[in-house]
Amino acid sequence: MKLNLHNISFSYDHDMTINHINCSFISGNFYSILGPNGSGKTTLLDLMSGFLKPDTGHIDMNQTPILSLTKKELAKKIALVSQDYIINFSFSVKDVVMMGRHPYIPRFSHPSASDREKVTEMMKITGILHLQDRKINELSGGERQRCVFARALCQDTQILLLDEAFSNMDINHTLQMLRLVKRSVKEKEKLVISVFHDLNLASSWSDALLMLKNGEIKTFGNSQDVLTQQAIKDVFNVTSIVEFNEHVKSKQVYYPSI
Amino acid sequence: MGYIHIPLMDIINILIGKIFGNFHFIENTNETYQAVIFDIRLPRILTCAGVGAALAVSGGLFQGILLNPLADPYTLGVSAGAAFGACIAILLNLSAAFVSVPLFAFIGACTTLFLVIFLSYSSKNSISGLSSNNLILSGIIVAAILSAGISFLKFIANEQVSVIIFWLMGSFASKTWLDVIVVMTFLVIGFFISLFFARDLNLISLGAKSATSLGVDLKKVTIILLVTGSMLAAICVSVSGIIGFVGLLVPHTVRFVTGPDNRKLIPLSMLMGAALLLFADTITRAVLPHEIPIGVLTALTGGPIFCWIFKKNRFK
Repeated sequence: MKLNLHNISFSYDHDMTINHINCSFISGNFYSILGPNGSGKTTLLDLMSGFLKPDTGHIDMNQTPILSLTKKELAKKIALVSQDYIINFSFSVKDVVMMGRHPYIPRFSHPSASDREKVTEMMKITGILHLQDRKINELSGGERQRCVFARALCQDTQILLLDEAFSNMDINHTLQMLRLVKRSVKEKEKLVISVFHDLNLASSWSDALLMLKNGEIKTFGNSQDVLTQQAIKDVFNVTSIVEFNEHVKSKQVYYPSI
Repeated sequence: MGYIHIPLMDIINILIGKIFGNFHFIENTNETYQAVIFDIRLPRILTCAGVGAALAVSGGLFQGILLNPLADPYTLGVSAGAAFGACIAILLNLSAAFVSVPLFAFIGACTTLFLVIFLSYSSKNSISGLSSNNLILSGIIVAAILSAGISFLKFIANEQVSVIIFWLMGSFASKTWLDVIVVMTFLVIGFFISLFFARDLNLISLGAKSATSLGVDLKKVTIILLVTGSMLAAICVSVSGIIGFVGLLVPHTVRFVTGPDNRKLIPLSMLMGAALLLFADTITRAVLPHEIPIGVLTALTGGPIFCWIFKKNRFK
């Protein structure tokens, strides 16, 4: 399965947010999107999830344009863990995770036994089973993020888009979720595209990196090839040292403290 | 008009007789009693229950769409629009034509609604354009302008100003079967639309992006529900004037019992709204020494209750 972006442009007002992007993502890989604030990372994910409509170009999945699908069909193919995990109403954790089954449950029907099983399984592997009857708006940021994560996994999609999905999780849970995602990529041939701020986590967990600056792709390729001092200087305007680290078996970035 | 004492058995006989068309039951009852019950009390009671139900459903919808448990049917300025329309009708002395005040109120409410949607809608980014912040802000701006307009109309109204003021305070006095039919028709339609989209409304409370990625056609659902909620509010305002706090308090309180799931919240709110407003109307009509406008009563009692709930929950 292949997700292709053809000549995608998008702007909110006058400034171009995403500028003529062409690229392809292939299933069985974990991609990371890196870039400074305001470089268009979230916008790019929103375009791929079908939330925003590009001004030019189109996005297709195995030749099928994603905007030609109904929202419900699309929800069975692409799941998004977005940054809006603040919920004003006191739904229970179980209810929120069950909402991930929405595209599969017909209107006016109750969730089937298999829906409930799926929800329990996803709560278990994301470590929120003990929170299932708690109210979502009473949980901490990291716990809420894991609920949203579990909800996206319940959608059972081929493509999973993560928009800083780990930003409020502690390192233990971050690694657990990354392991989970990585395993589904390798074992079930899923496609994961994640926006990251931590270059080192991105480098050690993803197969390929895409660096964005001002809505344009600066580099895109194998993580170990494209992560260089020069690239980091170009994209983030930061001086760094990039070395291969034996322990994590990937390149790591160090920042001199002066 | 004053009070008339009607024996309980007569009331039951008249109701059974009229409803089942069995004249055997009403043979022995007083003609005046029949008129009082069937042409005065019953339309008033049914209109009141219908308006209470419609306001509560409308409030539930607005709280869901605007992601705000404290929104109400008037958040988008529907009441100000209706009031402005009614003021114009009263000022131009169109009330002689019987339907014009409610009709003008309804037109005013609908015009306001579409103006507010137009203001918060951006063709460029239509999905996030109808965000709750945009809608609330547009509603406040439009309502503020209309309130100034109403003040101006009152200022130039001279002796008709009292008519305007009484209309604005709301009342169920002298409602007819026509009011019952209009309110009930809108209520039934609005209720079924709300129930049809109740699950989508649950998902919308997760946020725009999450709802979209879970398969909700956000723009379509938002517009349908906004129009449904506003129509319900508009019909209520045009029939009975501005009755505050029912649409805010009922869904908000029912949520403590049912939880936030709109599939349970909306039907229960509807029943509670009908019961509550009927109770309030009975108090204004039968318990108090003089009939006071129901809008004043609901605001005077609902306001402090709201303050209490608000304060209590914020620090829980």
